[in-house]
Amino acid sequence: MSSRTARTTGSLAAAVSLSLVAACSSGTPAGPSSAPASSAAPATPVSIEYLHRLPDGEGMTKVADIVAKWNAEHPDVQVTATKFDGKAAEMVTKLEADIKAGTAPCLAQAGYAEVPSLFTRGLLEDVTTDAEKYRSNFSEGAFTLMTVGGTAVGLPQDGGPLVYYYNKAEFDQLGLQVPTTAEEFTAAAAKAAEKGKYIAAFQPDEAQYSLSAQAAAAGATWYSADNDQWKVDASGAATQKVAAFWQTLLDSKSAIVENRWGDGFKKALTDQKLIGTIGAAWEAPLLAGDMAGSPNEGQWAVAQLPQLGDAPMSGPDGGSGVVVLKGCPAPAQAMEFNNWFNTQIDGLVSQGLVVAAKGAMTTPEPVKAFYGGQDVFAELAKANEALNPNFPYIPTFPAIGADMAQAADRAGKGEGKVADIFTAAQQASVASLKDAGLPVAG
Amino acid sequence: MSNRADVPPSLQPSRAARVLTWLVLALALAYFLGPVYWLVVSSTKSNADLFSTSGLLPAANNAAANYSALMSWTQGNFWRWVANSILYSTIAGALGTLLSVSAGYGLAKFRIPGKGAMQVALLAGLLLPISLLTVPLYLVFHGVGLVNTPWAVIIPSCVSPFGVFLGRIYVESSVPDEIIEAARLDGASEARTFFTVVLRLLAPAMVTIFLFIFVATWNNFLLPLMMITSPELKPVTLGLYGMMSYFNPQYGAVLQGALLGVLPLVALFLGLQRYWRAGLASGSVK
Amino acid sequence: MTITHEGHNRARRRREARTGLAFVAPFALLFLVTFVIPIAVSIRSSFYRAKPSGGGLYGGGELVDTFVGAENYAQVLGNRLFWDGMGRVLLFGAVQIPVMIGAALALALLLDSLLVRRVTIFRLGYFLPYAIPGVVAALVWTYIYSPRMSPINQALEAVGGGIDFFAPGTILGSMANMTTWTFTGYNMLIFLAALQAIPGDLYEAARIDGASEWAVVRRIKVPLVGRAAMLAVLLSIIGTIQLFNEPTVLAAVNPWMGKAYTPMMMAYNSMTGGVSPSGAGPASAISIVMAIGAGLLAAGYAFLQRKTV
Repeated sequence: MSSRTARTTGSLAAAVSLSLVAACSSGTPAGPSSAPASSAAPATPVSIEYLHRLPDGEGMTKVADIVAKWNAEHPDVQVTATKFDGKAAEMVTKLEADIKAGTAPCLAQAGYAEVPSLFTRGLLEDVTTDAEKYRSNFSEGAFTLMTVGGTAVGLPQDGGPLVYYYNKAEFDQLGLQVPTTAEEFTAAAAKAAEKGKYIAAFQPDEAQYSLSAQAAAAGATWYSADNDQWKVDASGAATQKVAAFWQTLLDSKSAIVENRWGDGFKKALTDQKLIGTIGAAWEAPLLAGDMAGSPNEGQWAVAQLPQLGDAPMSGPDGGSGVVVLKGCPAPAQAMEFNNWFNTQIDGLVSQGLVVAAKGAMTTPEPVKAFYGGQDVFAELAKANEALNPNFPYIPTFPAIGADMAQAADRAGKGEGKVADIFTAAQQASVASLKDAGLPVAG
Repeated sequence: MSNRADVPPSLQPSRAARVLTWLVLALALAYFLGPVYWLVVSSTKSNADLFSTSGLLPAANNAAANYSALMSWTQGNFWRWVANSILYSTIAGALGTLLSVSAGYGLAKFRIPGKGAMQVALLAGLLLPISLLTVPLYLVFHGVGLVNTPWAVIIPSCVSPFGVFLGRIYVESSVPDEIIEAARLDGASEARTFFTVVLRLLAPAMVTIFLFIFVATWNNFLLPLMMITSPELKPVTLGLYGMMSYFNPQYGAVLQGALLGVLPLVALFLGLQRYWRAGLASGSVK
Repeated sequence: MTITHEGHNRARRRREARTGLAFVAPFALLFLVTFVIPIAVSIRSSFYRAKPSGGGLYGGGELVDTFVGAENYAQVLGNRLFWDGMGRVLLFGAVQIPVMIGAALALALLLDSLLVRRVTIFRLGYFLPYAIPGVVAALVWTYIYSPRMSPINQALEAVGGGIDFFAPGTILGSMANMTTWTFTGYNMLIFLAALQAIPGDLYEAARIDGASEWAVVRRIKVPLVGRAAMLAVLLSIIGTIQLFNEPTVLAAVNPWMGKAYTPMMMAYNSMTGGVSPSGAGPASAISIVMAIGAGLLAAGYAFLQRKTV
């Protein structure tokens, strides 16, 4: 850190502690906390709150432990990490209320696809200057997802590039090679289906994220700027390749139709009826967990997503970063912690994340064992590097999911076409942008 | 029921009627407890067994592993959260019952100007979905400095328009005017009459209202989700919700947490049992 | 009491009003804070829409509350999704409420009768579903309804049958079953408390007069729990219009249901941004239209009830 930034940080800290003192003394007259602060202003630590939705489950390095390490090393910037127990959308509602009340934490976890929505709703702080300092620590694609029209609002945490998971033992038994193109994939699927096995599941409930990511992998850019207006292209030529790919699989009945989060999906996996699935990188530990204790253990493997477009590429299915919220009194310190926390690779990997920070990830032992000793995270990191770099989201992206999922359900039942899903995405995108009062062409 | 023995033998129901009734009640019991049975069995299973074995039969016992997963997922806070829930629900239930019965008594037994308007307001309070009022409520509680304190959960939970309606109905059907008049003639103050005479007569009704508010507070997660951030203040339902909102929960652990969380409710229910009877007895004593 | 002194009487009346208000006041005060103020905020926001403050693709990164008059209401009233949802909950309520209230009343009467001796286990067992947290009940039912694992279907398959609990034609029934399972015991307790509040000598007198048990039920018990039953029905009507938990749980595994299957889902998801137009304004407008609908239904029911009883 240069001396200039150190100085700014110091004076900022002083300003913050002053305002904290002011707040204290006005709120609670003659509060005991005002005494030490006035005697030595710089000694008052800045306190940063961080609201996250990490699982913090059994066998993981707990967020509290990672943060405790930071706190021990940084007596002047003390961080409190709190887990939010609700869904992502509920957290946004809570943060919106917090910001109105002036009690918002400094840092919060936010999905990449939600970042533009949070920004438009006025919940985010512009931290471009600070973010630039840490830019080189993160993969470029992920960093870009934490910017909104060139303004950085935080730092990336983990990525969700699409990959292909498959049961290697079953593939070998059926004499199948891992498909690397859409054509190979449909051929292999047909062959497996003859034996009553399926190498892909069409997942209506994940239509919004999974299919948009597949469109990205096929080279599509759904949203772009055109004369300071949004140009929506959710059903263009590249996207149609994805539609055709799934339509073929569905028409030939060589993919099963199961919702990703329904019990049937898990049952199909444990019963070894479903022996392959296109999924996000963060699904690696989840799939292992779903099938723990079944004969699948040690049989699975991870490969790159088959090429869906003109070049081998992957697409972003989920993943999230840590944003700085509006009204944060110490954005510089918050970003300093943000950078430190999101480069704690081992701890974050233990939480099941494929980190956005540069650096080697060590595949956790249980995950490695499930995938037959494969260095899974190295494969996932490769997918991260292969992400379509140009797939920004619109601020109303969260509002288009239901229409896509409904269309996907019809396509899965044969009552509609896969292409209809993208038509629905197109229409819902344009309509929701108009509803939100944002400029959109067409 | 306590006066069952007084019933003349000629009115004792026939054996056939008894058996038939018992059969109907047992079938209903099976309907209500069947899913609970699944819950108990599943709380001992691993995730894999949950999806590969029959839901009705136990598989390899994974209860201990699920318990340790539950402790780990809740950061060792599980029992603390249960204690929090007991505390919040008990205070909300007790306060709420008293508030409801008092208001119900006021509405039932006194001529108050604007009574009709009050009842319309109460009903209107029920008409708007609570979940959409949570955000404005949060701002109100922030204004009075109670956000992230137990009171932010307790106070909204103990205000039950439904409890007031119930209180009013029960007062009307089981507190005769003569008893109040008699107490007044004895020189008792209004407060004394209420606390010593009226509340005693209302015991079964109060137990019911208490139970409803207690359970509603226990199971509410949206309110604490918005109001509480400190892990040490969370109620147990919020913690379970947190485990479920992640993609890949260990179901056995969540189910076990739910069962362990229901135990205090069962204990409470059984503990309240005698008050139901007491109320009945005092009703027939007069 | 004869009217002797006008003034004395008026003072007495004023004192009675004061005493009554004192009993109501603690509740009224908290009701003001926890209901009236948030409702007022909600009504106000239904006339506003948060709009981007600036231009550009992201609207300048700030929203300003803008008065839009009745625009939010016009959008709700003109939205087919909203009316579809209303239709569903009305259909749901028309079938589910009578079944649930009837079952609750029957169970309460049986437990209160002379026919059973040990009621504790039944009372507890019937009430237990209400005590199971919604998030856990969701797990239970999605499992029991699950097309591949349903124990019910496993049993039915043995005899060559099977039910698709998630089909568009059956899902309202599946939901109604979940609601009935959860709330029958709750309503039963309301009735039971009302039955037990009936002074015991009323029965004794009837029985001594030689009335049969059935006559006691019909002539004494049912009329006396009438008010509790009316309250329970009113609450169920309101709860049905606000139906949210069950459809949300089922929609998680049935994407075809969307995010606006019931009006309450639509309101909640508007608030959290999953349904467009989103924000506090549109969400409030939806919930207020719902509230008015529920209020009209409740009033209509109360009116009919008064007329017939």
